[in-house]
Amino acid sequence: MEENIKNIVDRALEMAKNAGCSDSRAGAEISVQSSFSVRNNMLDRLNSSTGSTLFLQLFIDGRYGYYSTNRTDEKELKEFIGKAAEATKLIAPDHDRILPPKELLFKGETKDLGQFDPSYNQITPEEKREIAFQCSKEIFEKDPRIISTNCEYGDSLESYYMADTQGFCGESKQTSFSVSAECSAIDRDGAKPEAWWYESSMNFSSLEKEGCGKIAMERALARLGPRKMKSGLYNMVLENSVASRVVSPIISALNGSAIHQNNSFLADKLGMKLFPENLYIMDRPHLYGYEGSRFFDSEGLETKSMNIIDGGVIQNYYLNTYNARKLGMEPTIEGPSLLSLSLNNTFPTGIPKVTQKEVLNECGKGILVTGFNGGNSNSASGDFSFGVQGFYFENGIILHPIKEMNVTGNILELWNSLKISGDDPKRGSRWLIPTLMFESVTFNGN
Amino acid sequence: MSNAERTMEIFGVTEEELKKLISVALSSGGDYADLYFEHSISNELNLRDSEVNGAGTHIDYGMGIRVIKGEGTGYAYTEITTMKEMERAAKTAAAIATSGVAKSPPAEISTPLFKERYKAEIPWDGISFADRIPTLVELNNLIFQSDKRVKKVLGKISDSNTKILFFNSLGILAVDERPMVSVAVTCIMQHKGKTENGSSSRSFRKGYEMLSKNLPQELAREVISRTSIQFEAKRPKGGEMPVVMGAGSSGILLHEAIGHAFEADFNRMGTSIFSDKLGKRICSEEISVVDDGTIYANRGSITFDDEGVVSQKTYMVKEGILNSYLHDRISADFYKTLPTGNGRRESFRFMPLPRMRATYMESGKSKEEELIASVKNGLYVNNFSNGQVQIGAGDFTFFVKSGYLIENGKLTSPVKDINIIGNGPEALRDIVGIADNSIIDNGTWTCGKEQYCAVSCGMPSVLVSKLTVGGN
Repeated sequence: MEENIKNIVDRALEMAKNAGCSDSRAGAEISVQSSFSVRNNMLDRLNSSTGSTLFLQLFIDGRYGYYSTNRTDEKELKEFIGKAAEATKLIAPDHDRILPPKELLFKGETKDLGQFDPSYNQITPEEKREIAFQCSKEIFEKDPRIISTNCEYGDSLESYYMADTQGFCGESKQTSFSVSAECSAIDRDGAKPEAWWYESSMNFSSLEKEGCGKIAMERALARLGPRKMKSGLYNMVLENSVASRVVSPIISALNGSAIHQNNSFLADKLGMKLFPENLYIMDRPHLYGYEGSRFFDSEGLETKSMNIIDGGVIQNYYLNTYNARKLGMEPTIEGPSLLSLSLNNTFPTGIPKVTQKEVLNECGKGILVTGFNGGNSNSASGDFSFGVQGFYFENGIILHPIKEMNVTGNILELWNSLKISGDDPKRGSRWLIPTLMFESVTFNGN
Repeated sequence: MSNAERTMEIFGVTEEELKKLISVALSSGGDYADLYFEHSISNELNLRDSEVNGAGTHIDYGMGIRVIKGEGTGYAYTEITTMKEMERAAKTAAAIATSGVAKSPPAEISTPLFKERYKAEIPWDGISFADRIPTLVELNNLIFQSDKRVKKVLGKISDSNTKILFFNSLGILAVDERPMVSVAVTCIMQHKGKTENGSSSRSFRKGYEMLSKNLPQELAREVISRTSIQFEAKRPKGGEMPVVMGAGSSGILLHEAIGHAFEADFNRMGTSIFSDKLGKRICSEEISVVDDGTIYANRGSITFDDEGVVSQKTYMVKEGILNSYLHDRISADFYKTLPTGNGRRESFRFMPLPRMRATYMESGKSKEEELIASVKNGLYVNNFSNGQVQIGAGDFTFFVKSGYLIENGKLTSPVKDINIIGNGPEALRDIVGIADNSIIDNGTWTCGKEQYCAVSCGMPSVLVSKLTVGGN
């Protein structure tokens, strides 16, 4: 299979050259997925698929086009690329559309990042089905208030190969295994709050196959009897599973495209200290055994370990070749790989010492946010307003769930009210964000 | 050669082969099976820094096989439409059933005639990028000429044409060609050290004729207005207050607050907050809500749905009574009713689910001015970006890009960037005034329930007596 996608990519580059392209980049992806879901202890869905896509970027004397197809037989591909080259010639030149500087490209062998489990093909449909049923058995008819359960086992294998006409080539292969559970419970007033939980791993043997259903059930039952609270200032603790929601506007604002388009509240802020002096957001792309790790980005730029926010100072923008040239800067990388946040510039490893429990205890009272319900933020100003779900707590103890509440503010002001950070990011995510506690945040309710 | 024969030729299959695949799909005892072939070509053209300097074309081709057993679904797809690969996919999907009692494929094939709901008068396949470029250039020029505060304009034309071949175990053979075009623009302005942005879009199932002379002017006017108002806008004080939802895009309230909760998969599973309310009064008798797949050239329209069911106009709420859920074949069978033509999917990679089409509320009798005049302190909102709902709890949200404070019955200061949250059944009950100005919003609305689906929404201006507004 890997040889096949390499052949397709190499053929596509050759065809692009023959069609008059001065430079080109091609990538091919093969994705194999399967899933089994069990609803109310009955097999509800089974899904199986194999897909492939060829991506192609053509550069013709400053003109640039991006194309994709899953029709890769010789004749059709040649016709497609010929038409694509002709189409690209029709648009305006932009001489900043070029392949990356050669010296910044990834070179050499891709080392093992621990992202591929060779046992992937040995797992039988019966085993997969059984995992979904076992998850279901943890919750089905375990509590009369639970009205519906849905448990799923899923796995995937993604193989990717990319090359360009400067001689770059790189490949990656990643497996993923997951168990997820959703539960709906019924409240006295007829409301049916739902909750979910999931576990995932790149290795089948280390997937937490037990306990997922039970956690989803406990989370659904905990949401019964919610109360709407008065509008006001509350301390906000963000659960680690959702804390990335307040990191995302920062990462978007650091993207070169937003900065070049003057559509970022962090434009022209490189080197400025806008965040708390103990805040570090790190990108560590070469760590073994993490989903976000990678050696190159979608342009072939070599990833490197760097701090995005370093002691509160904005240290790096995410710049691909195009946006870097537009801004007169050096390319860095197109976007985050394996992101981590801490208050002491250390990457979280081992058993966490500060978890949600410790953060709630230290915080005293406030609102624990365990989920977001819509909302958005303004990329130019950083102003945000999000719907939230979660719990009110006092003395570190959860008292009741909340309902129909918004949290509103400005991203920079929010981050400058950060008081506590755990060291407990949820594994299996590309962004490792721990439990966070912010002081005096505006919540809107009654 | 008939249209069906031409389409079968594109996918390289014959009627006998379609029957054979259905036979394999039903070989383990499935109740029903369908085949969904799709060939899609989409193009995009981007304007940035006042130049049309980015273009792309994407081809997607493949077929999906679904087998239903009871309420269970087996699904598999392949991008290679040889009989060997398709039979392999059919066997995979067939495994949802285990009785081993094979059902026969349909003996007869019927090709129903569906009423045309859209047509590309000038099909996209004969149009080059050069033909599309002038629309974006004019849009860019109009925006820069209109306001000196404009710093950047991002424009985009996306168009696609999708050919569909559908066949099922009931013997229904259907073919369709679905055009779609969207034109979207974002404007970034700077003034006195402040930066603001605004967006606008139009989307229809049309061909090149969509890029009319009027379109750039219409979009330029709208995006300038939406961006410039932001400089004067502030965040209001948050909390519960009456909200007048302006006509058109306020249909997002319907989509989030009740639309999803009316989708019959959530109801047959018992997880929707409306799952035991069929035939019951849920709001004022002045309210009728429709989900309509028949509006000519509308973004949410379909000739037939992705299960071969004719497109329909479905009254979800009629004069305050919950009249119908939105059904696919599975839920219709569960409720012993007919499917409503809501079984839709993003592509051949996905199994169909009950999805909305164009969801709107019919006009009432009041005037918008009367609704505003009746509010002492509240909010008027008419420009939104996104929304979400929790189906079971009923809590829905939508994000307001801009609107106005209402003070003593009059629109006063502009407001921006606030999330509004409410509870679906309560919000419906709290609609206390409906204006006579229902319109469909033709922006690029896309619903993201498990998979993406093109939809639209509409609304007359309504007064909701109480919603929770995000703010200071």
